Amino acid sequence: MSAPTSTRALRMAYVVACVAGVLFFVTSVGLLGVWPTQMLRDQTTRMAPEVPLRPSVSESRGRLVYAREGCSYCHSQQVRFTAADTRRFGAPTLAWETQFDTPHMLGTRRIGPDLSRAGGTRSLDWQYAHLYAPRDVVRESVMPAYPWLFDGAPDRPTQEARDLVAYLDSLGRAREVAGPEGEARAREGCDCDDDPLMAMAFEGRLNNHPARAIRHGEAPALPIDAAALPRGQALFARHCATCHGPEGQGNGPAASHLRPAPKNLSQHDYSNARLASALWNGVTGAAMPAWRDLSPDDLGALAQAVQALSVTRVEPAPSEALLAQGREVYAANCAQCHGTDGRGDGTAADALPMVPANFTQQQLSLSEAVRVLREGIPGSPMAPWTSRLTSAEILATAHYVRSLYTPSLPGHLRK
Amino acid sequence: MTTAPAPTVARGLVRAHGIAALVTLLISVSFGLVAAFQLQSPDFGAGTPSLGWGRIRYAHTQGIMLGWLANAFFAFLYHAVPILTGRPVTSERLGIWLCALWNFGVMVPGWVLVLAGVSQPLEWAEFPLMVDVMVALVLVGMGVQFLPGFFRRGVESMYISSWYIIGGLVFTLLSYPMGNVVPEVVAGAAGAAFSGLWIHDAVGLFVTPLALSTMYFVIPASTGRPIFSHFLSMLGFWLLFFLYPLNGTHHYVFSVIPMSAQLTAIITSALLGVSVVLVVTNLLLSLRGAGWLPRDPALRFVSTGIVFYLIVSLQGSVQAQMSLNQRVHFTDWVIAHSHMAMLGFASFAAAGGLIHAWQRMPEARYHAGALSWAYWLMTIGLVLMVADLTLAGLVQGQLWLDGAPWMDSVAASRKYWAARTHIGGLLSGGFILLLAGLTTGPRGGGLSVRPEGGDPVAQSRTHLAPSLAGDHT
Repeated sequence: MSAPTSTRALRMAYVVACVAGVLFFVTSVGLLGVWPTQMLRDQTTRMAPEVPLRPSVSESRGRLVYAREGCSYCHSQQVRFTAADTRRFGAPTLAWETQFDTPHMLGTRRIGPDLSRAGGTRSLDWQYAHLYAPRDVVRESVMPAYPWLFDGAPDRPTQEARDLVAYLDSLGRAREVAGPEGEARAREGCDCDDDPLMAMAFEGRLNNHPARAIRHGEAPALPIDAAALPRGQALFARHCATCHGPEGQGNGPAASHLRPAPKNLSQHDYSNARLASALWNGVTGAAMPAWRDLSPDDLGALAQAVQALSVTRVEPAPSEALLAQGREVYAANCAQCHGTDGRGDGTAADALPMVPANFTQQQLSLSEAVRVLREGIPGSPMAPWTSRLTSAEILATAHYVRSLYTPSLPGHLRK
Repeated sequence: MTTAPAPTVARGLVRAHGIAALVTLLISVSFGLVAAFQLQSPDFGAGTPSLGWGRIRYAHTQGIMLGWLANAFFAFLYHAVPILTGRPVTSERLGIWLCALWNFGVMVPGWVLVLAGVSQPLEWAEFPLMVDVMVALVLVGMGVQFLPGFFRRGVESMYISSWYIIGGLVFTLLSYPMGNVVPEVVAGAAGAAFSGLWIHDAVGLFVTPLALSTMYFVIPASTGRPIFSHFLSMLGFWLLFFLYPLNGTHHYVFSVIPMSAQLTAIITSALLGVSVVLVVTNLLLSLRGAGWLPRDPALRFVSTGIVFYLIVSLQGSVQAQMSLNQRVHFTDWVIAHSHMAMLGFASFAAAGGLIHAWQRMPEARYHAGALSWAYWLMTIGLVLMVADLTLAGLVQGQLWLDGAPWMDSVAASRKYWAARTHIGGLLSGGFILLLAGLTTGPRGGGLSVRPEGGDPVAQSRTHLAPSLAGDHT
């Protein structure tokens, strides 16, 4: 083989190789960029609600704060099509849910939980308290604190903090407000009943976040084992003390910024059923999250720890006359919300942002009952009654609601 | 083969980029240390917005890639390209401009802006768009600086390092907008598909070609023997450029991005492992006779980097597979993997290239003892860090699969994160010693390390590919 021929052949080979090299690259862009983009656009057109819910101006600004602080480097925004993800967070993220996310923040690392279904999971006051000082709310958190988004206190958020929290509360909302009709349309557009992976998008609950409060959720009976009390107390110190305080007096570091304030557990007796519901379903309208990610055994232990915090005291027994007066005042003023039998199921109850207290399942100490009647519960529909009731009437009502407590009743929290 | 003319190495620019590389390395590592420490003491820096963990992380990864690695590779190019092409680079004056622009037009403003909160939340693309423009400009400039010589010399005798340099510069420029600009225009999951391309191209088309170029350059120059097989080296080169870009979507397995794209990436990831075995075999066989722990620190860094390259690539192939991905994605396993890639593979190659160039400059200070210590601290630190974070990742993944409360995974990670901070301290010691090794000691202290291949003319001969027809390897 003569050298010039071989050189020419080699040059030719290199030219071919160089063209091929550029083609490889173009192929990759086409195959893994342009083509999936087209598929995802088609999918979005088919599956998105006809009138998509766009982010508000405030939410868009909040998104910029989220982006610049690198939130997506610890909190992904995609529920993956895996069993572990759907069990913990809910339905897998569909393309149309991300259609206004420019740039996307799908994320590749989770130090904190995924946030694509964060909307409606935490109360706004929880968010503010948590952003201001995360460890005041979640003791073991490693999240950075963002005090500079506030004017010195969690209840004085700057516009940026308001925007950020508005954004957080909007995550996952588009699909939630699309409702069953939206899901049906998406399912039809997906046409993926034969594709088990894609079909996961429509199985199970849309938002499975274990902390999300469920207003009238069922609650399993908790196993009560006296030996579990120390474990319950350890769990209380780990998960609950930041709000309810180490002694349960409602004075944890986060408490002063939460409205309604965390309950003073030392002044309450709770039935097992009430605690099961509060722990399993959270308290809607309050910062109290659900704790469905704890095992039933742990929740049972926790319930005992909470009951052990109650400071039992001998209260003066009310006279029949006092109780009768209380019954009268109650029927006239309280039954609309708390129900004629005190089960928290009055005619107005369903219109309220919080479920009214069920007095058959919880008993306040007399002083606490009087205090609540006098001061109301700021942040809840419970108003102060001093302008409408005399001190005597308030005392009588307090005695009356205490008398409704029948913890032995089976766990029906609602009729 | 005719004798090549004595090439003119742009020594001033080697030193400028080299020092910039080491300084940006230490700055970037400081960001890494702060971020690591904040996972132990989350309130460290609270109240100072620019010390927020997210911003620090942006500064850390961009600094490592664009500050340390890019500068180190540019330094290496100013040394290697004149030897490979047999002629000086296009313009030293242009080089001064490019060096200044890169460090004072990209790195300084990039860092200042992300710390001030002007950034984009895109991995390996956190510097904002205005800085991206500067990056693209300098990359074009680097193309003008380095590429013409290759084409003037003719391709038939082009050595593998040259191919990697050409490929690296050209394809970095092509793929850079993919992760830095496209997701700002294409929304949501589709934007993520492009991000995935860039996340992998940043490693595959920028870092890997230049690291491999360095390895292929340093080995024959240091041992004085040609590489094992030019044919294999070219095969590996083309496989790399075919397979790397097709890996992108493996960063979003189980996402809504079409499964066919995911599967393409997953299969290609497996094939990539095979091609890397081929490249590594060629590199290790080229090292034959140099021993497992070569005396020349440049070669020692390079040979260790080859081992890390093999490990990190096989790991990448495996973790893209769905069964393992389900378990380790989102965990510290991936952070271990990226440290193995950027620190184990790329930084060891970059350090090797830098030391190699330094050894050949009579005016450069050189401290062999410091470099030897740097090697050991970096190697031990990296192995420990990868082990620590891999273990942490397995623990996190298991807890998540078990459905344990989220905070259990955070609580269980604390001891691994604490260990990582200490290991980071160890590594920082290594980096400081690397800086010391190249800035203290006698001037020209590295000249004695230079083996027979150190003679520029002989060296340029080792760095010519015999035309394939005459290649009997």
